Amino acid sequence: MKKFISVALASVMVVAMAAGCSSSKQSAPAETEEQGTEAEGTVYNVCNLVNGNLGDKSFFDSAEAGLKSLQDAGRITYTTIEMGGSTEDQAKWQSYLEEVSSSGEYDVIICGTYQMPDYLKNVAEAYPDQKYVIYDDTTYTLDNVLNLSYKQNDLGYLVGVFAGSLTQDTSFEGINEDNVIGFVGGVDSPVINDFLYGYILGAQSVNPDIKVDTRYVGSYIDPAKGKELGESMINDNNCDIVWGVAGNSGNGAAEAAQETGKAYFIGVDSDQELTFSPELAAVTLSSGLKNVGQSLVWVFDELDAGNEHWGEHITLGINEGGVGIVTDKNFTTTPQAVQDAVNKAIEDVSSGAVEVPTAIGDESGAVEALRESVKP
Amino acid sequence: MLNQLMNMIFTTSFGYAIIRITSPILFAALAAVVAEKAGVTNIGLEGTMMFSSLFGVLFAYWTNNWLVGVLAAMVVGILIALVMGIFALKLKTNIILAGTAINIAGSGGTIFLLYLFTGLRGNTANLTTPQMLTPKINIPIIKDIPVIGAIFSGHSILTYVSFILVIVVWILLYKTALGLRIRAVGENTNAADSVGVSVLKTQYIALMISGALSGIGGAYMSMYYSQSWNTGIVAGRGFIALAARAMGQGEPVGAMLASLLFGFASALGNKMEGLQGFSSYLVGAIPYAVTIIGLSIYAVTQLKKSRKKS
Repeated sequence: MKKFISVALASVMVVAMAAGCSSSKQSAPAETEEQGTEAEGTVYNVCNLVNGNLGDKSFFDSAEAGLKSLQDAGRITYTTIEMGGSTEDQAKWQSYLEEVSSSGEYDVIICGTYQMPDYLKNVAEAYPDQKYVIYDDTTYTLDNVLNLSYKQNDLGYLVGVFAGSLTQDTSFEGINEDNVIGFVGGVDSPVINDFLYGYILGAQSVNPDIKVDTRYVGSYIDPAKGKELGESMINDNNCDIVWGVAGNSGNGAAEAAQETGKAYFIGVDSDQELTFSPELAAVTLSSGLKNVGQSLVWVFDELDAGNEHWGEHITLGINEGGVGIVTDKNFTTTPQAVQDAVNKAIEDVSSGAVEVPTAIGDESGAVEALRESVKP
Repeated sequence: MLNQLMNMIFTTSFGYAIIRITSPILFAALAAVVAEKAGVTNIGLEGTMMFSSLFGVLFAYWTNNWLVGVLAAMVVGILIALVMGIFALKLKTNIILAGTAINIAGSGGTIFLLYLFTGLRGNTANLTTPQMLTPKINIPIIKDIPVIGAIFSGHSILTYVSFILVIVVWILLYKTALGLRIRAVGENTNAADSVGVSVLKTQYIALMISGALSGIGGAYMSMYYSQSWNTGIVAGRGFIALAARAMGQGEPVGAMLASLLFGFASALGNKMEGLQGFSSYLVGAIPYAVTIIGLSIYAVTQLKKSRKKS
């Protein structure tokens, strides 16, 4: 009897698991109906593979929002699969990719982040007729894959102009006389240093004598260390503005700013003011944005216009809506001169009057040299 | 440059940072000490801290009371220790495997639980209210002494608890009947059994104490050190604590000194990174290098001791 019950229980579990898997895959498009409001346009069927979970208030949510807006406009239908982001989940990413590729149902399969290129390469080579888009990655060039990346150097420049001009204005409450700003990076890597490169150059453009204290957490999930670094910058070097480019670790720098009461924080990737508790949001003056959703809309704009970019690397800047800076909420409380400087920088970068060099692919050591030269 | 470093080190914020970095490692190191004394290797500290740090935040959020959160974190730590105990002591699985399983569950399972309970998926940053964070304590008299006050006063209540627990654990191990039983079981199971000590019960109790201690360590991470919980928040501190226990020769005071050494090395690394000419890769390795050096020194002294004996 006991044995029977255990067998029965086990089979129930197996069935439940199988049901769980299949239902999760079809949940998103269930209500979707091909409306085809645009008479002449093709309605693409899109699969969005999330190597983590929605609700990150960053890349994944942004991509989802972009696709949702496209679907609402009747231009695509899409399915989102949340593959999970833990180490154990990674083992399944490739099989998810293979499954959706072999189904042949999708015109375009979308994935993203630095974690996906190797899995995508394996699968994309096996399915040469399937089209793929990968965002925020430039590792490989494959004939059927469009690589989207973002001008984080431009974004860094805007944030740098903001921080560099604000730290000079001691009339703004909490800004001290020392001409020092901070940068808490996740890992000392080309992408993070691309943010930094623009940040330093932007700050220097409005404030030639600026000092920038740069430190790296070495991890994207350790806010405690981010807080230690932030506090050291604030207490030892009188930093009054800290930019956190370190995922969750960056939140620790925001806490350092709030708890010491002597500094402000700037967020990254998404509008972090919206993701924080009211206390932390109060010290967060702005955020540098990477608009993954906008970039996906751009992809379908191009497709509808007949421009195919498969096999290309496309870097999206301000003009394509790929990057930007938050200029509402707390930003509007900063001095008018600072706001004007930021708006001018946005114009300069988008018109091409200012060209910000990139740290990606830079072998000359220019970024490292610049980083050292501006340390306080 | 050396001047600049000296200026950074001889500040009160440096001393304050050492204590703050040490505290969570100390909780977990004490947990490792108690378990190991009973002959149980609790390698699941990291995972236990992950679960506790999450449930600490959740209960604090539901009740808007930090104390409930800390107690819940302790209870969750005990429950997880019991799960480990059932697998390792009752069902006789390898304790290292049981601990590893807890660690894996701690990394993935916590995200699942967070979503289940709150619908959030990455971190709890927008749930935090000031009432959920453990309060900072200004110690009367001491807070007014220059230098000392700035270093030792104004920490979280949990920071003080961690250092008080060093004494409590020492008393528990060396001045109580339970401590005697724990040590007897750890030294020689058969001998303890032959004089009527229940080995299983003692090991269960030691594991539960270990779970409670690492549970508070988890609460420290998400309810003070960071103001919210996020995926992977413990970031290896549970493993560093295992090294601290070994370096502290398995004794509470030794574990504290080892944790302090690690705290000092981390704080030093954090400061050095701000100076010109130090690569973040190099600086990031300092705490680990110090740990290895410490362990080597310990091994050498042990070797000399055993040679003298023979």
